[in-house]
Amino acid sequence: MIDCKNVSFSYPGSAQGALKNISVSIADGSFVLLCGGSGCGKTTLSRLFNGLIPHYHEGTLTGAVYVNGWDTRETSLFELSLAVGSVFQNPRAQFFNVDTTSELAFGPENHGLPEDVVRGRVAQVARDLHLTPLLERSIFSLSGGEKQRLACGSAAATEPEIFVLDEPSSNLDADATRDLRALLAMLKAQGKTVIVSEHRLYYLAGLFDRVLYMRDGEIAGDYTAAEFCQLSDAEREGMGLRPLDLASLAEVTAPPALATGEAWRIEKFSFAYKGEAPILDIHDATFPDGAATAIIGHNGAGKSTLARCLCGLEKRARGELVHAGARDGRKARLKGCYMVMQDVNHQLFCESVMEEILLSMAVPDAAQAQEILAAMDLAEVAEAHPMGLSGGQKQRVAVASALVSERSLVLFDEPTSGLDLLHMRQVAQLINHLTASGRTALVVTHDPEFILRACQHVLHLEKGRITESYSLATGADRARLLAFFERETKEASNL
Amino acid sequence: MARELLASQKHQTGIALDPRTKLALLITIAVFILGGSHAGVMRYVIVVLAALPLLLLLAARKWRGAALYVVIFGGSLCLELFALTRLEGALNFLAVAIIGILLRFTPSVVMGYFVVTTTTVSEFVAAMERLHLPQQITIPMAVMFRFFPTVAEEWRAIGDAMRMRGVRFGGGKVGAMLEYRLVPMLICSVKIGEELSQAALSRGLGGPVKRTNICKLGFGAQDVALLLVCLGAFGAQIFVLVKGG
Repeated sequence: MIDCKNVSFSYPGSAQGALKNISVSIADGSFVLLCGGSGCGKTTLSRLFNGLIPHYHEGTLTGAVYVNGWDTRETSLFELSLAVGSVFQNPRAQFFNVDTTSELAFGPENHGLPEDVVRGRVAQVARDLHLTPLLERSIFSLSGGEKQRLACGSAAATEPEIFVLDEPSSNLDADATRDLRALLAMLKAQGKTVIVSEHRLYYLAGLFDRVLYMRDGEIAGDYTAAEFCQLSDAEREGMGLRPLDLASLAEVTAPPALATGEAWRIEKFSFAYKGEAPILDIHDATFPDGAATAIIGHNGAGKSTLARCLCGLEKRARGELVHAGARDGRKARLKGCYMVMQDVNHQLFCESVMEEILLSMAVPDAAQAQEILAAMDLAEVAEAHPMGLSGGQKQRVAVASALVSERSLVLFDEPTSGLDLLHMRQVAQLINHLTASGRTALVVTHDPEFILRACQHVLHLEKGRITESYSLATGADRARLLAFFERETKEASNL
Repeated sequence: MARELLASQKHQTGIALDPRTKLALLITIAVFILGGSHAGVMRYVIVVLAALPLLLLLAARKWRGAALYVVIFGGSLCLELFALTRLEGALNFLAVAIIGILLRFTPSVVMGYFVVTTTTVSEFVAAMERLHLPQQITIPMAVMFRFFPTVAEEWRAIGDAMRMRGVRFGGGKVGAMLEYRLVPMLICSVKIGEELSQAALSRGLGGPVKRTNICKLGFGAQDVALLLVCLGAFGAQIFVLVKGG
């Protein structure tokens, strides 16, 4: 049982994520979905529940939060960790140990439970949540989805009655999201209280029994599952929320590309780690020039590897990229392609956005840089440090530097993971802008709505080979794309 | 695959040794082979000590490591015994230096390799806790082992981004290059560190009770035997010192 009484909170020096006068009570055994756009305060609310506010994050707090009757201001994080288990957004940064078994044992060990009790807990959690195949492994060998399931398991090992998950699916692909759903269903079946803050809603359909919709730090809507599912598509979109099912996307289309009639050809592409079977084996595939092409496929199909090979980042890659009469080998591709990485923090080096743009120019030209920044809605932050920008702005800086570098092929690796509806549409517009200026874009993604808004062509990769290649021009083609994602969703809701 | 400082997963280790025994062996070998005087009876003691890493490697089925050790250490030993007397002048000087370094360093390096590849982080931390080191030392050590592979991953990703953007060494931009790599690196590391501490605190780390540890530690017959060898080495050294003085 969680009780918030007139809670307001603000972070020092920032209006982002502040809460205003929240009063809500969450019953034992309920499954609550917290939704709303970025910066609406849902992460802040989840931090109030697990005690990270006020014990870890500083700020101004008024009102009180009671967890199982304890006032969180007077209860230490150590005591709260017995009542509330937490799972965070980033699967890379929530493990304290380097092997899986120790991680599951970590919570009970911290509470000083006797060794045989701890071992019993590890065995039980592994059995209950089907984590046995993950035991005794190196954390570094796990996939993102396995890491997120392990994080749920290690939260469960202290046997809390309440689970708080902050955007647990934002770094996961469709397969891993399905596994996460199955695990959350098990927690629900055990009668635990589950609170999930999330942008992606479809995988939680049928699990939640209450939805708290947040806007500007307030609870703007409190729905039962039935009420929430009856909202029309227009109402849901007006709230800035992602769809609960994919059927509503059938009419969404991207603007037509400036068809040049030319094509890029991937020839005899292969990649394998030393002494291992090839991960990539593409004899011949084409995608249109001056348009955006989505690369889709299941987890482990080789999508990111293909993107890295196309960029020339993998020394062991074989094959050529043929375009406009040129046959580009690896080194030429390294110069001719640009990748916007999933974690865009890795590719911004300079002290200001302006310098960042100038660095990418063959001949630095401040006037042209200004122009690009204005076009990308970055003129106001030209002198700001890139690391101080929001995620969307950082992404635009990366795209702007791709534009000025005059590279004709720009690749995106999962550009919309963890984005809300509004920001996802902004990225789609960004790609439309890119193709309108004559560039070609390749996008590795798991986001069907984003593909429909941004891309004109699809390459479907499975087991390192291209199995399908089709344009999205007609309704039948779009239905084919949605069918691929719907299959995955159906598999998910059958679990 | 991430580069790791200690093993993150249990591997075939042959003879199961307590991490404390491994540390004792490492210290003994370093003190007497790397440091010691090699005089008197110690000549024979160090041969026994040098044989230990070989036995452990063989027991752990690390054949390549064992073969390499035999070639380098055994080879140097043979050269010292039979070849040095026949060399003269500068060549002799060079050979003495190289052989001396190899003889003194190899056993410690190989023992260190054995410790690092056969001890998991959890075992190491458990051993430190058993040695009654305070939490202020054991927790930072554990974080360090957890953090290094993560930092290595970040480092590689930033390197990729630099290659992709065509930022390369040359043209006297060494300072700028360092900055380009270190700034995103520091920012990503700080962010990961912060998220890591949130996660650890919300799992109850640093509470007022004494932590337990599920790693099975304990001394077996093999530990006792090896610790006796270590004690023997110290005993022999004391004997030499007393007799000599």
